[in-house]
Amino acid sequence: MWGTGITHYSAVGGRAAILTGMESIRFGRRPGRGVQRVMTVGSAALASLLLLFLVAPLVGVVGGWGAAGVRALASDADLRGSLWITLQTATLATLLGAAGGIPLAYALSRRRFRGRALVSALVDLPLVVPHPVAGIALLIVLGRDTPAGRALLTAGLQVTGSRTGIVCAMLFVSAPLLVSAAREAFDRVDPRLEAVARTLGDTAWTAVRRVTLPLAGRGLTAAAIVMWARAISEFGAIVVLTYNPKVVSVLSYERFTSFGLDDALPVAAVLIVLALVPIVVLRAVAAPGALPGSRG
Amino acid sequence: MIALDGVTATVGDFALREVSFEIGQGSYGVVIGPAGAGKTTLLEAVAGIVPVRAGHVRLRGVDVTRQAPELRRVGIVYQHSYLFPHLSVLENVAYGAHNPALVPEMLERFRLDEFVDRDVKSLSGGERQVVALARTLATSPDILLLDEPFAALDPRSRITVRRQVRALHAERGMTVLHVTHDFAEAGRLGHRVVLLERGRVLQVGSPDDVFHRPSSAAVAEFIGAENVVLGRIRVVRSSTAGTAKKADDADDADTATTATTATTAITATTKTATPRERMVEFSSKGLTLHAVSDMPDGEAHAVIRADEIALAPARRESSMRNQVAARVVEVASAGVIAHVTVEAGGVELVAAITTRSAEELGLAPGREVVAALKATAVHLC
Repeated sequence: MWGTGITHYSAVGGRAAILTGMESIRFGRRPGRGVQRVMTVGSAALASLLLLFLVAPLVGVVGGWGAAGVRALASDADLRGSLWITLQTATLATLLGAAGGIPLAYALSRRRFRGRALVSALVDLPLVVPHPVAGIALLIVLGRDTPAGRALLTAGLQVTGSRTGIVCAMLFVSAPLLVSAAREAFDRVDPRLEAVARTLGDTAWTAVRRVTLPLAGRGLTAAAIVMWARAISEFGAIVVLTYNPKVVSVLSYERFTSFGLDDALPVAAVLIVLALVPIVVLRAVAAPGALPGSRG
Repeated sequence: MIALDGVTATVGDFALREVSFEIGQGSYGVVIGPAGAGKTTLLEAVAGIVPVRAGHVRLRGVDVTRQAPELRRVGIVYQHSYLFPHLSVLENVAYGAHNPALVPEMLERFRLDEFVDRDVKSLSGGERQVVALARTLATSPDILLLDEPFAALDPRSRITVRRQVRALHAERGMTVLHVTHDFAEAGRLGHRVVLLERGRVLQVGSPDDVFHRPSSAAVAEFIGAENVVLGRIRVVRSSTAGTAKKADDADDADTATTATTATTAITATTKTATPRERMVEFSSKGLTLHAVSDMPDGEAHAVIRADEIALAPARRESSMRNQVAARVVEVASAGVIAHVTVEAGGVELVAAITTRSAEELGLAPGREVVAALKATAVHLC
């Protein structure tokens, strides 16, 4: 049928071109069955190779040195100390990130203001900066010889070489993930629900508390877990800002450079298991009905 | 009372522009317009959900243009109900109720007692809409905004819920502003109709006024006028209201005569002449019609309801102003009504007559007939 159309409209260039295009869609050569099978098998093989590439090193470390890592937790005070610091600082960074990031995500999701696109881009910027560079940038702003650093010192907060520095580094590199995920969570809640709540007597804050937050709750929890997981595994920015006290990632690096692979592997296994925990929790949270307020 | 004065509001690329109208205290106003006309935005501007950039919104005589939605004491029910999905039916209905006694009252009134513990996601579209209505009414608003609230309902539920809304309106003396795209629904419910298109008000008036005196061809087409014809007006003679009335009387007498014959038009409702109106001639192609209008010479649209056109086998001795030779093009019967398309002077007109009349007249494509209509049935705009 389209063939007839092309002949008929051949004098009308544009239309003929469109019809020719449609013919190619309609009657374009289909790959043969054998080629299709090769393409399917090839795609599956590539996907499997990638999966293997991603999983094999981690499984290798945990499988080979997981038990040694558990033993090291019992006998290695430095490892236990690093683990405690890592958990503390990652949790604090996540709480700080949530305190500022959730309102920011809400504003980016709900409000239309001038410069919104710029703010969005600025929030995402730390994600594309190499992490050692992020550490250097933080050092320039929060180092001892900077106005902000001096002000923090006066307030009793030393950034470099302290847990405060670790929290700052974790916050800088992982908060954008929380903002981005929280914004998606708010985007999924229809703003008209809030509007209806307002007409039913709620103030803006009350409507957010009674309607939006419960409905976005699962997404916000997932956002916080993603940030916490990212904070736990951070190395580059932390090592520039605060080598000591050591988080687990820095400790594994130090063991590797100072004592070799055998000493680094148990620490690495502990870190991998630690990173697995939030991933498992995240999957549980992602399941429908996993959290109160997740009925929507 | 709801009064809008030059209201301009923007949502994304869409803008309401200088919208003005007033719905009296306790009245039932209906906003009609095609999809994308800005009907929902208009309601949201009244509710305070959409900020007003210019103009004023007055509720109960008070300027609330800058007031927060929760202070306006306005209830809104959307087409898609917008129930809170994390709450049960009971929790939804009780959400904004200041008086707890109203919750069981609303549950009973809308027969929701058996649903109270149900997850709102398990409800049907109609049930959800009823819950939304109960939730809003449990806050005792004296102004109710309804955004196509019956659109998602099946025909039976629609009748029931519409009856409930009308009963509540009558009982509580609420001022209602109801959005719909259905002119028939507007006519059934409203005291006052606001016709909106592309963010602008095209016409405000009683349903009868809008139906019989559409302000433009666009309005006429939207409300379903079957015959909207572009042509030119020529003033035949200046006239007082008396002359116009006389033309009406002559036509009415004539209609009374035809009422005994098979040529009877289905209804004989006509507009009433105003003092400035005079007899004019309206011409389009080879068709010339007499009409009563206050419009000057020039281009205009003639709007003629199909049920204002009577068909007869031949011209008859009558004072009916317009009797034009026509040829039947198509006869489409649907139950008791037949829509007959005739061609008169190069213009196609649709007449609605009873199917029985069409059969008695032996109407079929190609049949020569006379189309008759009163001068006052030709509305010019």
